[in-house]
Amino acid sequence: MALDPVDVVIIGSGAGGGPMAFELSKAGFKVVLLEKGPHYQQQEFVHDEILNSRRNFFMPLPWDEPHLFRPGGKSKSGDEHPFKHTNDGWTANCVGGGTVHMSGYFYRLKPIDFRLRTELGAVKGANVADWPITYEDLEPFYEKAEFELGVSGNAVPHPMREPRKKNYPLPPLREHPMAQEVEKACKSLGWHAIPTARGILSQEHQGRAPCTYCTLCGSYGCEHGAKASTGAALIPRALKTGNLDLRPRCMAKEVTVDEKGRAKSVIYFDPDGKEQEQAAKYIVVSCTAIESARLLLMSKSNRFPNGLGNDSGQLGKNLLFSSFGESRAHFKVSKQKERWPWLETSREPFINRSCQDFYWMPDDKFGFRKGGTLGFMWTHPNPIFAGAGLAKRGKEGVFGKALKERMREYRDSRIMQFEIYGEFLPTDGTYVMLSDKAPTKEGKVVTDKYGLPVAAVTVTRHPTDLKMSKFLVERGEEVLANLQPDKVERIGESGETTILQGGTCRMGKDPATSFLDADCKSHVVKNLYVVDGSFMPSIGGIPVTLTIAANSFRVASRMVERLKKEGK
Amino acid sequence: MPRRSSSLKGLSRRVFVHRLAFMGGGVILLGSACTDEKKPSSKAPEPAKPGSQGAPPTTSHLTFTNEEFAVLSAAVDRILPRDEDPGALDANVHGYIDAALQAQQLRKMKEDFTGGLHALDRRCGRMHKVGFAQATPEQQDDVLKVAFKEAPESSGEYKWYDLLVTLTMEGFLGDPSYGGNKNKAGWKLMGFDLVGKEAGEVSPDYDGKQHLDHLRCGSGKGC
Repeated sequence: MALDPVDVVIIGSGAGGGPMAFELSKAGFKVVLLEKGPHYQQQEFVHDEILNSRRNFFMPLPWDEPHLFRPGGKSKSGDEHPFKHTNDGWTANCVGGGTVHMSGYFYRLKPIDFRLRTELGAVKGANVADWPITYEDLEPFYEKAEFELGVSGNAVPHPMREPRKKNYPLPPLREHPMAQEVEKACKSLGWHAIPTARGILSQEHQGRAPCTYCTLCGSYGCEHGAKASTGAALIPRALKTGNLDLRPRCMAKEVTVDEKGRAKSVIYFDPDGKEQEQAAKYIVVSCTAIESARLLLMSKSNRFPNGLGNDSGQLGKNLLFSSFGESRAHFKVSKQKERWPWLETSREPFINRSCQDFYWMPDDKFGFRKGGTLGFMWTHPNPIFAGAGLAKRGKEGVFGKALKERMREYRDSRIMQFEIYGEFLPTDGTYVMLSDKAPTKEGKVVTDKYGLPVAAVTVTRHPTDLKMSKFLVERGEEVLANLQPDKVERIGESGETTILQGGTCRMGKDPATSFLDADCKSHVVKNLYVVDGSFMPSIGGIPVTLTIAANSFRVASRMVERLKKEGK
Repeated sequence: MPRRSSSLKGLSRRVFVHRLAFMGGGVILLGSACTDEKKPSSKAPEPAKPGSQGAPPTTSHLTFTNEEFAVLSAAVDRILPRDEDPGALDANVHGYIDAALQAQQLRKMKEDFTGGLHALDRRCGRMHKVGFAQATPEQQDDVLKVAFKEAPESSGEYKWYDLLVTLTMEGFLGDPSYGGNKNKAGWKLMGFDLVGKEAGEVSPDYDGKQHLDHLRCGSGKGC
């Protein structure tokens, strides 16, 4: 028996589901919010690396709930590459989702990101598309998201600055003196170091306490609620309306349809593992690009044998990540403290400088036009992560005395890094399918602890991306070298940041080539919405969290209009 | 030392991949089981096994037999030996691993890791005619380096070495409430007691183990 119908069921409580729950419950609609993970209270967020980063506090264990990943193309032997089990591609499984353990680098997209196909023209081997909306359509909702979540920053003029009506709602966070050095270095190269806006409160905001400048931020939950997680900023306020029924530890397994082909209910496992069915007038899916595609692909029916709303076959296609690159500058404190005494004395955790001079290139002299962002920061001070990194592996690996020497050297170091957030061109070879379409050699289907097929991800990079990320890494290293460190170490110049996801349910005007319309509503199933990063036709050159939240506010405003019209 | 369990023989490659990927930090994926595949498997499985007929092996530890614990201790001591600064044994890394592998979520990894200890011991026997715990530091380093650290990336030996290093780092650099990082020896060595790099600002009565116990490994459904 289905539970009594409500106005809206939302699946997932992160950057997409959080704003939706907030707006709809505020507008007076009865909302059920299903979240597969637990509802942690602030005091449960502790600075314990083992708990946070090395067990299933946030991320599922890959033997309980694996993702399958493989590179596209053929191996040397001419076969398709085998899938590997991993926990890549998961973000935090808890109320607030990935916004709980994010670092909160809150950039906006640029107007050019919304018309990439027009600007680039046809790109061979890539499915570049314009968005069906413009930057101007999204701008008011960026402003709203920045206010409601609480973003600290300072919008200074620079060549790539996006148009905006207001500065950030909160002043910038305190900075380490290194920020000024990064500015000088960029300036001497003719580039612009701009303050990085953060989803972290610099002052009290809407009853939430400000940042205490502890050194452990990204990959941890904030015990003060200063981080702009939907769990801290939106869901408590949504609960106060009395219209939100938050159900943590509830894992959705299927969205059902009625005889008219409309979404009817969500079937999920409750915290005791019992199957429940919740009916609703509207259903909003927001489980990350990978997991939303998986859920919709699992939602098969006579009407939709290939997954809910998947008449076009586009569901799961054009998966996007953020292009990755990273280098580090090592400063020996004992040697450099005469020049920069603050290397030894300043505990400020934030450098918060970015460079967007290579976001959009005037021509393709360097093999690409659409680039991305360089973000400068201290390396993450997670001890186990740092120690394991020093030990390395294989021929480069060391143990014994040599390892201890590296550890002592680390003690005398401050290490700054940049990471890049680069465009990731959509290709036919980067997509999500279900593991039942990818049986193992023994013919077995990989399932998770619920017995459900898992997401199987294939990644085929467009060669232009790799030229781009290498170029950006080289520019970043010029900035690092300008600071005269003792060593510059390249960590990577290609690859993907899999916690930053988009695509799989891209929006567009043409139902034949897109899954969602401009309102993030299914072209086919008229009461089904998807509001995580799945909707994005392109990923931009920034971390997408703020954009997902802003878009969810936009879609929510359209839904509120529609729900009011269609009558309560 | 007696081989108590079936080591890694019974594990399919795929199952093994499942288990260790996480501990290695997300990018590490296991290949074949780290069992001694070249050797004919004629060697009789060890006689004594808890719950089986023979006398249970004597142990004063939570996870390991005394013999396994001796191999583990020797191995972590080679990864981080004591020199002018404390080493793995000073920080109770071996005790940490023994306790950590009791966690419900890691129950399968316990078997895999234990199997690897047996593989290490056997390999030392073949290379140097002596058990790993009894070998000289030079012999121990040789086995760890040649047969494990520098084994092909797809091999179980490589993956097991990776797991050994990872668990050693957890025990050396994790929150002391788990029993490792005694006197914050690891944090002091790497400077996580210095301005700007402080680790673990937790209340003095914090106990991570209790926290971990509350993590449910299943949502009711198939744990």
